[in-house]
Amino acid sequence: MSECRHRWEMANIQFGFVVFEKCSHCNNLRTYFSLEDTWDEYREGDCQWSIVENAQTFRFDLKCRDCNRLETFEDLMGLLYCTSCQPECEVEVLRKKFEAEKTWILVAFGFLPRAKTNPIPQHKLDILTDYFNQRRDTSRSKVKIVSFNLIGDLLSRCRGEFIHDVGMLSQEPEERKPLL
Amino acid sequence: MTTKDVIEKIGLRSLSKFEHRDVDGVFVSDMLSDVMAGAKSGNLWVTVQTHKSIVPAANLVDVSAVIITSGKNVPQETIDLANQHNIAILSTDLPSFELVGKLYGLGLVSS
Ligand SMILES: [Zn+2]
Ligand SMILES: [Zn+2]
Repeated sequence: MSECRHRWEMANIQFGFVVFEKCSHCNNLRTYFSLEDTWDEYREGDCQWSIVENAQTFRFDLKCRDCNRLETFEDLMGLLYCTSCQPECEVEVLRKKFEAEKTWILVAFGFLPRAKTNPIPQHKLDILTDYFNQRRDTSRSKVKIVSFNLIGDLLSRCRGEFIHDVGMLSQEPEERKPLL
Repeated sequence: MTTKDVIEKIGLRSLSKFEHRDVDGVFVSDMLSDVMAGAKSGNLWVTVQTHKSIVPAANLVDVSAVIITSGKNVPQETIDLANQHNIAILSTDLPSFELVGKLYGLGLVSS
């Protein structure tokens, strides 16, 4: 079985929303997956949580079509593309390095804040990278998916953007607000 | 069939700088999540979405071009990002339905 080179395909696809919640007291950010969009506000001790964004997204797992191995990705909140907002950011350093190889860097986020202490393991990110490369003509260009931990302390100032459907249902989407 | 053939036969406008490539099938959706889940390498992606996030989505799933329909105005930042990634952004005044009819007429079918 370990000989299998794995040809991944999406399985267990579930469309829903990623909800971004912020506390006006401590300014912390929480995110979670929801099957419905919600705009609830609620109090938790000193914390006052309100929803800052509901973005349409989907959840999926990856399954090997040869050996049936299943890798779950329920912890994947979304993929962010780097907008080169902070030159000292490690993602930006990598982005520049890989640009010459026509390899494009995307940043995988887990749900916050849990992902800060329990990031998506590297072997899963490698599988995700393999999957998206298997889906493309890699003679032209490749993708590489890295962990959001690389952003480190710069996260609160990150202006990268998620590949999520934000405000896409309105006719003329307004400027997106920074989510991080 | 290549992006060049499709542009010439249907009279599409090229908004970004890109290298022509082979076209394989068509994917119609206004949702990035749909595209990420379902579009295939080489597809033409037909949409009315113009936000710059269409560029990383198009890049991620390796579509051959994004065709913006109904003559929607495409922001400069979307075009700039597409130029940076060699992503073809094309535009037409036709609504999606009519464009898809013409693509079908060229022998292109769904992915
Ligand atoms: Zn396998
Ligand atoms: Zn708080």
